[in-house]
Amino acid sequence: MGNQRTGRAGTLRAVEELRNLYRYRQLIAALTARDLKARYRGSILGFFWSLANPLLLLTVYTVVFTFFFPSNVIHPYPLFLFAGILPWTFFSAAVLESTTAISSNAGLIKKVMFPAEALPLVTVASHLVHFVLAMPILLLATVGFALHGDITMTATILLVPFLMILQTLFVAGIAMTVASMSVLFRDLRDILTNLMQLGFFVTPILYLIDKVASRPFRALLRLNPMTPFVVSYQDVLFFGHVPGIADTLLMIAYAFVSVAMGVTVFGRLRDTLAEAI
Amino acid sequence: MTDYAIALTNVCKSYRLWGRGSQFATLKSALLKRDLALTPETSVEAVRDVSFAVDRGEAFGIIGRNGSGKSTLLKLISGILKPTSGSVRVNGRVAALIELGAGFHPEITGRENIYINGIMLGLSRKEIDARFDQIVAFSGIPEFIDQPVKTYSSGMYVRLGFAVAVHVDPDVLLIDEVLSVGDEEFSAKCVAKIQEMKYRGVTLIFVTHQLDQVRNLCDRALWLDHGEPETIGDPVRVVDAYLQAVSSTQTSAPRVAAAEPEAPRDDPNEEERWGSGELVLSRVALVDNRDNELVALGPGTPVAIEMDVTVRVPQDEFVIGIGIYHADGACVYGTNTDLEGLMPERIETNGRVRFIMPALDLVAGTYRIDAAIHTRNGRAFDYRRGAIHFVVGSRVHDVGVYRPKHQWKFEGGIAFNEIDLEQRNVPIEVAEAMRAARKPKRTR
Repeated sequence: MGNQRTGRAGTLRAVEELRNLYRYRQLIAALTARDLKARYRGSILGFFWSLANPLLLLTVYTVVFTFFFPSNVIHPYPLFLFAGILPWTFFSAAVLESTTAISSNAGLIKKVMFPAEALPLVTVASHLVHFVLAMPILLLATVGFALHGDITMTATILLVPFLMILQTLFVAGIAMTVASMSVLFRDLRDILTNLMQLGFFVTPILYLIDKVASRPFRALLRLNPMTPFVVSYQDVLFFGHVPGIADTLLMIAYAFVSVAMGVTVFGRLRDTLAEAI
Repeated sequence: MTDYAIALTNVCKSYRLWGRGSQFATLKSALLKRDLALTPETSVEAVRDVSFAVDRGEAFGIIGRNGSGKSTLLKLISGILKPTSGSVRVNGRVAALIELGAGFHPEITGRENIYINGIMLGLSRKEIDARFDQIVAFSGIPEFIDQPVKTYSSGMYVRLGFAVAVHVDPDVLLIDEVLSVGDEEFSAKCVAKIQEMKYRGVTLIFVTHQLDQVRNLCDRALWLDHGEPETIGDPVRVVDAYLQAVSSTQTSAPRVAAAEPEAPRDDPNEEERWGSGELVLSRVALVDNRDNELVALGPGTPVAIEMDVTVRVPQDEFVIGIGIYHADGACVYGTNTDLEGLMPERIETNGRVRFIMPALDLVAGTYRIDAAIHTRNGRAFDYRRGAIHFVVGSRVHDVGVYRPKHQWKFEGGIAFNEIDLEQRNVPIEVAEAMRAARKPKRTR
């Protein structure tokens, strides 16, 4: 069994890349566990912080939008907001953190034979864990509002895992692209931080896409790849219907394109990471 | 079927030097060209045209000055870096000890770090379970294994890192200057472990500045100079050639340090000594035929090198060798008992060795003698580099190192008149050494 390393530019073998990623699953799992453990080591609440954060957020939304700025269009507004904000946070936090995934582990890349592609995936995985941990809070809130008579619960909630899988693929592809490119272009993080703030408003999280009056802005919303994801989460969690066929196809397409892009860009840049870092 | 563990063919490695502040420009141009294979403004060649193959089970040392490309070469072999041109082929699982504990996370415990580090080095969770107790035992810090690594001392950190790395069971182990860390006891443990791995057929690649390790552990060595292979072959020969090159550049370079009144460590006359110490050369002296110790002599003087051997651990086999070097590092002569076909008998009690030279025909100058006692495969019991320094004085200012016995004969119309050479000035350092030699000597 011999492996050959040559200096010529690596040809793109996406299948082999994906097989490698599968090979590193134990490593990714171990590093994700390490990240989560390290994050909560020494804190009193430990893992409960993952629950406490969304809980506090939900409480604040509920108080603010029930008592101070009651919304007439969407009811109950806090729950609607929550259904959109959680997947958005997963996306934006994972992508932003992946800009430093490689440079903050420079020691591993330079001193150990370490599969660099594991690092952005670890970032994605640990944010996915936070996302999943926030789900019980969302469910509890849904049950609470349902008991109050504001909404009715439907079985479409069971489609959430399916959405999560597609979104995770989408986020992972972006994270790999961003992680490898930000080693060469350090300003990528600053660019993305601003883009994400902008993106929050160009994604239908605070409002319904159909209620947007401006046609060009609606077109812009349609172009945002996060739109079908957020809308679908709102569909299954808040409105209780199955995601539309167009949104579903778009999500699958975005997930596929994103993974292909991530694997390609990362494969292209991998050999330069150890020295450019 | 391949019998090599590592094969490098015409390997070159250039590091890219990115222009300052050009990153935004390159992002823009990259987007414009739609090409992420960027061409840097300048590059520096760290490794140039290196080719060699290392057999399975061979121990291979890489030596050279700082910045000569040793670590880059190791990173190329490990696959951390890719060569700019040429090819690197490796057979089997590689473990690289480039920085011990590089993958440790400070916030989590030693136990958890062992697992994560092990997985990083290519083990499965089950394989680590099987090795866990061995790793902890080898690290010697079982009482701290459930503490976060951030509470460890740097020594403990390194111990744990080494313990994990050597229990990965690699086919090829790459070691970069890590044996010098840790205390004496742990260093010895590491060297023993590495020797054990060598016997089990693990291919070892060392990068080190501890040249005696190269001599003692390696089967072959490569001296890398400014990224290019200078010499490759027998480790003792390569190390010697390297040392000579280093000391000759030191003497020819302006001696800033020597101009300072206190620079005792740079003293080239200081003896360097190493070895495992089972047999010790307790005394090495240059004597004349009446047993007087000499530090200065004239050309053609009959002399002997006297060596007293002290036995600490009886040995079945050993070799005694001497080497005479000119001050500029050139080897004048070297030999040993093994080279001259002398088979040793078991040594149990102390003894004295005399290496007798009826005439030492050297040109005026400063010389040093190395004396060594070592095993037949070259592992030193006691190696004393520069055990003796002596001066050869001469009234004739001929050049070179060796003065063959000779005379001039003239016939026909050629004739010369002899003058008294005493009238000429003797070089100051020789005169001083001669004067010093007349003073009562310290005994070593």
